[in-house]
Amino acid sequence: MTISSRGLEHTWELCQDRMGYARVMASQGKKVIGYFCCYTPVELMTALDLVPYRIGGRIDEPIKEADAYLETCVCSYVRSAFDLAIRGEYDFLHGLVVPHTCDAMWRILNIWKLHKPLDYTYFIEVPHMVGPSSCHFLQQELKLFKKSLEQLVGRKVTDEALGEAIDTHNRARALLQKIYQYRKADPPLISGTEIARVLIAGRGIPVEEFNELLLQVIHDIRTRESEPRGKKPRVLIYGGEVDDPAIIELIEECGAAVVMDDLCTGSRSFWELVKPQENAMESLAAHYVDDIRCPRTCRPGKPEERFLYLVDFARDFNVQGIILYLYRFCDGHALEAPGLKAYLNREGFPVLHLEEEYTLLTKGQLRTRFQAFIETLG
Amino acid sequence: MVDNTDKKKENRTQSARNVRPLVESMYLRAHQARERGQKVAYCMVMSQYDEILAAMDIVPVWTENYGGLCAAMGTAQPFLEKAEAEGYSNLICGYARTGIGFDALRAEMGEAPQTPDGGMPMPDMLLGSSIGCDTRFKWYQALGCYMDVPIYCIDVIVPPVNRDLYEIKDFYVKYQAEQLRGLVKFLEKTTGCQLDPDRLMSIIHRAEEARHWWWEAQQLCRAIPAPMSARDHFNIFVPHHFMIGEEATLDFYKELYQELKDRVDSGIGVVDNERYRLLFAGGLPPWHSMGIFSYFGSLGAVFPAQLAYPPPDPFTIPDNINDPIELIALRSFERFTYRWEQAHRGCGDFWVQHILDLVPEFNIDGLVMHGVMSCRATSMGQIYYQNAVQKYAKLRTLFIGSDIVDIRTYSEAQTKIQIDNFLETVETRKSNKASN
Repeated sequence: MTISSRGLEHTWELCQDRMGYARVMASQGKKVIGYFCCYTPVELMTALDLVPYRIGGRIDEPIKEADAYLETCVCSYVRSAFDLAIRGEYDFLHGLVVPHTCDAMWRILNIWKLHKPLDYTYFIEVPHMVGPSSCHFLQQELKLFKKSLEQLVGRKVTDEALGEAIDTHNRARALLQKIYQYRKADPPLISGTEIARVLIAGRGIPVEEFNELLLQVIHDIRTRESEPRGKKPRVLIYGGEVDDPAIIELIEECGAAVVMDDLCTGSRSFWELVKPQENAMESLAAHYVDDIRCPRTCRPGKPEERFLYLVDFARDFNVQGIILYLYRFCDGHALEAPGLKAYLNREGFPVLHLEEEYTLLTKGQLRTRFQAFIETLG
Repeated sequence: MVDNTDKKKENRTQSARNVRPLVESMYLRAHQARERGQKVAYCMVMSQYDEILAAMDIVPVWTENYGGLCAAMGTAQPFLEKAEAEGYSNLICGYARTGIGFDALRAEMGEAPQTPDGGMPMPDMLLGSSIGCDTRFKWYQALGCYMDVPIYCIDVIVPPVNRDLYEIKDFYVKYQAEQLRGLVKFLEKTTGCQLDPDRLMSIIHRAEEARHWWWEAQQLCRAIPAPMSARDHFNIFVPHHFMIGEEATLDFYKELYQELKDRVDSGIGVVDNERYRLLFAGGLPPWHSMGIFSYFGSLGAVFPAQLAYPPPDPFTIPDNINDPIELIALRSFERFTYRWEQAHRGCGDFWVQHILDLVPEFNIDGLVMHGVMSCRATSMGQIYYQNAVQKYAKLRTLFIGSDIVDIRTYSEAQTKIQIDNFLETVETRKSNKASN
């Protein structure tokens, strides 16, 4: 599929119907592999011409059938995603890959398999600790994952193909970082809502196509006529899988500019490039152990050390307030939030700490909370 | 707490009655150790480092146990409320909320709050791990805001069922050993003492002997009538989980075995009219309302086995391993994968496999699961277990819901109605089975 011009416009089209695009690819013979979390090494799939498709939920629909199979004490993002699976919306997937990131991820694969069997499934054990032994362990895990994918497609991944796949994904990471730089202007040259659409659009198309799209987006930003936009309070959003632009859009409707994020669906997944090591598998292992700053990974130090990067983000992007937008039942984020909030306050940043369901059905209440916070940033 | 008027109907073991004094002595010893300058560590159960701590004379304080203790004594509420006032969600682990609330209050007041057994002594270090759930390291990271002591966390990895064990064994064991060696290095630096491998090996042997006796005692519970009550099951795991490696623990399980054997030989059961044999197959116990198990007993329902704190599966120490760290790492792998091959061939899930193994062995008529609102690790998948088990064994399942600590989530009256209805369905199934 070729991405046409008008990049920003096309990201919105893709964002609204990324399942539809994936279905077309599947009908054309592409093997589309669903995966959860930013800890899945998508480079290995790309190297074998598989299309990695980041599993999402549907924030504007109630959970309809999943509760018959999945406990309600599980985060509603996972429940919503599983609900779509139960309803057959993910039937275009050829397979599903789940990394052991949080407690919900640890258990979802078997539940999914029982009720929606797939041709191919794989579970990757990802260490929770950082350090050389963790990297070495994950390297062994990834070798087995690679072997499993090779069996799926019936051919080997060459070193050259894997190197190319890493370069291509690094290119996407670098282009996204470049686009994020346009958010530093005041007012930003690209809105938070537009950024969210770009990110979500890229979660289900081949990375080569995403790179073309990103180039087009950069071109659009550079060449579009600037709208007369006033300066607004600049906020950073921190949280998990915010896979619908509507949340960012709501914050911006309430009068803020979302200029930076630390989200599983945002900078967390691309802020660091895969760095060259002795071999490609070593590079991937080091990246997925060390570089992704999800609370599911245990890093030493107090909040001052563990979240210094977040304060750096806030200062680099001239942020005035920070929204901790967390999902109920996400233990990793929930156990970090009070210490993180206190630290950010000490650093001079006002913080709005929300613990919400993965839903837009309570949009009115959310709007009130956002408006009240943004007014204080004046 | 739930009223315990049904308790008298159950015939409890002396071994289980001996646990409470052991717990009191455990906290007393920890306080005394702290006073005389011996190192005290906050610890998480099942982290595979128990024997290492014992070998280095580090006194463990099991913070999850303290949550359960506060719940059972009805004293958890101020801690839960303090944790929530500090900004912690009321959906995170009840143990963690209790512990964080306790330490937040201590930091605020400058002394330990008045609680059962004198509270937890101030630790010299926090030793988290990744076994079982993410809270086991996130909790101690959170405590870093209330105390200035070193934190060290290790990975304890559970191999996925869908793997070829021969393919993964070497690097899983190697990684586990490396994680434990990193911990030993940290402990040696923090305490200024070296680990004595011979002493550790000897403690491991003693611990394994205790585990052997617990396992054997559990096998006696296959007998009809069942010789030990659910409440006793949820007591007698305590010496193993919190005092492993001690002579007193080994003695405890030998005595438990003998007591149960005497009961079985004499045909003494938990209740006079044993009618239903149930398996506690998911979740952790509602520590705030353990009397509910006596209500089961009053209706003729017993629990010959439980999966919240079962005895570790058998493991034989190989003769050819002299390095105790390597031995612990290997043991961890072997125990976690004890049912893997069978699960791999059949149901595909180790937990379901464990249930399926116990159903015929213990003559189980039905399953009981406790959905713990604050515990993803033990609650997510309970419906799946039920559905997967049904493919192989037609059993009724009762789901009750509350928390491990927080009684605000619990309705005793509603739970009793659920139990009544559930046992009626079990009765119908048993009657139908008998008439066929």
